[in-house]
Amino acid sequence: MAKTKSPDVDELTIIRKELALQTEKNETLVAELLVARKELVFQKEEKGKRAAELGIANIELAFQDEEKGKRAAELGIANIELAFQDKEKGKRAAELGIANKELAFQDEEKGKRAAELGIANKELVFQDGEKEKRAAELGIANKELVFQNDEKEKRAAELGIANKELLFQNNEKEKRAAELIIANKELVFQNEEKEKRAAELIIANKELVFQNDEKEKRAAELGIANKELAFQNDEKEKRAAELIVANKELAFQNDDKEKRVTEKEKRAAELIIANKELAFQNEEKEKRAAELIIANKELAFQNEEKEKRAAELGIANKELAFQNEEKEKRAAELIIANKELAFQNEEKEKRAAELIIANKELLAFTYISSHDLQEPLRKIQTFVTVILDNEHKNLSENGKYNFQRMQLAAGRMQQLIEDLLAFSRINTTEHEFEKTDLGGIIEEIKVELKDTMQEKHATVEVLELCPANIIAFQFRQLLYNLISNAIKFSQPGIPSKIVIKCAVAKGSQLNNSKLSAEKNYCHITVSDNGIGFEPHFSERIFGVFQKLHSKEVYAGTGIGLAIVKKIVENHNGIITATSELNKGATFDIYIPAG
Amino acid sequence: MELKQLNVLLADDDIDDCNFFKKALNDLPLPTDLTTVHDGEALMQMLNNETGMLPHVIFLDINMPRKNGFECLAELKQSDRLKDVPVIMFSTSNSRDAMNSLFKTGADVYIRKPGNFEQLKELIHHALPMATEKVFSNSQIKYILNA
Repeated sequence: MAKTKSPDVDELTIIRKELALQTEKNETLVAELLVARKELVFQKEEKGKRAAELGIANIELAFQDEEKGKRAAELGIANIELAFQDKEKGKRAAELGIANKELAFQDEEKGKRAAELGIANKELVFQDGEKEKRAAELGIANKELVFQNDEKEKRAAELGIANKELLFQNNEKEKRAAELIIANKELVFQNEEKEKRAAELIIANKELVFQNDEKEKRAAELGIANKELAFQNDEKEKRAAELIVANKELAFQNDDKEKRVTEKEKRAAELIIANKELAFQNEEKEKRAAELIIANKELAFQNEEKEKRAAELGIANKELAFQNEEKEKRAAELIIANKELAFQNEEKEKRAAELIIANKELLAFTYISSHDLQEPLRKIQTFVTVILDNEHKNLSENGKYNFQRMQLAAGRMQQLIEDLLAFSRINTTEHEFEKTDLGGIIEEIKVELKDTMQEKHATVEVLELCPANIIAFQFRQLLYNLISNAIKFSQPGIPSKIVIKCAVAKGSQLNNSKLSAEKNYCHITVSDNGIGFEPHFSERIFGVFQKLHSKEVYAGTGIGLAIVKKIVENHNGIITATSELNKGATFDIYIPAG
Repeated sequence: MELKQLNVLLADDDIDDCNFFKKALNDLPLPTDLTTVHDGEALMQMLNNETGMLPHVIFLDINMPRKNGFECLAELKQSDRLKDVPVIMFSTSNSRDAMNSLFKTGADVYIRKPGNFEQLKELIHHALPMATEKVFSNSQIKYILNA
């Protein structure tokens, strides 16, 4: 070890450093003491405060002590009570021990069932979700179907009407076509006749022209003959004058020539006779000339007449020629019209075929309505009953009410579908009429309505009966609807009394202007003593969906009387309703008595 | 125009629909006062009572007992006193022919009743101002509201 300084110096140096260090430490301590002193002063202040607080707390404690004394007394009493209760609890603890064991066992069971219910609950929640979806889908599908029902019924009604109209038009056109064919034949025949007559007239004309010519020739000849006769007459008068001169000459010669007297006297006598003969011939010829003049005049007149007739015939000929042309034109038009009719007939046959297809589709729709449409509805109804039965406790009052209203609405839809189906079935008219006893039908209905009738104390009285020519099953529906209506709309508290009459009478004896006076009708009356209706509703009540009361008051779809009216119309009959409010109602049905 | 309270008259025979309507109206942020009648005759009797106040708007169902919506609308529009009350038709039907005929007769708005309560609220909310503003604008435009 090598040391350059003495150990003392080294020690002093160390001591000095030590001292310096201690001095520093002392200074630090003094500073800390100052801080501590301040802290102590603060703590003293704090302790003063706390002492004051403790004074208050002491007073509080003294008060609490008093309170505790009181409570200790109370607790003494309570202790006695508790001691008694302890005994009781000992007893009950023993009982509870037993009960606890029981509960422990039940707990285990419940644990198991809770686990099972947990699983089942999840399943139900899932199923509920699924069912809501399907219910929503069904709601939408329902609306769509109802709309389609409306549309299809409208179309069916339109098609039905159009069918009838087309059938009627077809018949009419067939009749007209047949008439046109007959008319055509008639025209052809008339044409032929007229052509024959025209030909005859032409011949007759030619004949007349020829006769005219002949008569003119003859008239000319007669004129010449007349002139000739006149000339001959003149000649004969000249010769008569000459003969007279000759006679005088002869008489003179007679005087002279007595020899030749006898001869000449004979010749004279002959000449006298010849003269007389000539005079006579003259007279005859004058007569004939007069006759010829008359005949001439007559011929001239006839000529004029024939010219007139020829002119008339000419006009008539032209007229006939014009008519011929017109008839040819019309025949051409008829041929075109015939072709048009044939084309229309074809078109109508096509449409009839289409209608047959449409009808088949409607039948399919009816089947869908009767089955498919009711199925989702039935499911809605079933789900509602399941929810109302099983979830009754879980549903709020409002929830229960809503489900009940849903049930009512679904029930109403079911009734609507059934009634509409009944209404549409009445449309099909391919049913046979048969003589039927209404009494039997009424008895059947009474059996069917027995419960309702008892409930409302209703009676059905049949006063008169006659066999009626009806479609039996439709009439059964008609009477059922009228009788059940009468019971439904009875006056509260008054037994419903329904009276039915049936009699045959002539239209003129019945009080309805729409009936034919000479026809026989089966007059059926159904009257009741129910609430009736105001007279101004007497037509409206037969309309489809027409109701006079809210469905909350009198349930129903408003189709019943529409069905009744349709059935009566299927029987070519008339139905009227007469009533006053609260004075009962009377339905009069008139159907032809076959 | 700000109305303090809208007096709404509803004519509908269906109790459920009346209840839905009332609830929907209550849920809307509009101050309304609802009166309800259940058939057309009752509606016309109420409106023809000259001493009564006229509603601000009428919601009119079509299919009702005794007198239907068509007949009521025609009577309303023929009356000088009633013809300016806005009429909102309110029906399940979606027949175009029916709608056109109703608009021709003078209906202002046609609401097809929806199968959903929230939609019902929206439709009524939408229709009310349309009908009531018509009183002042006399618009010829017709509206069909369909959910």
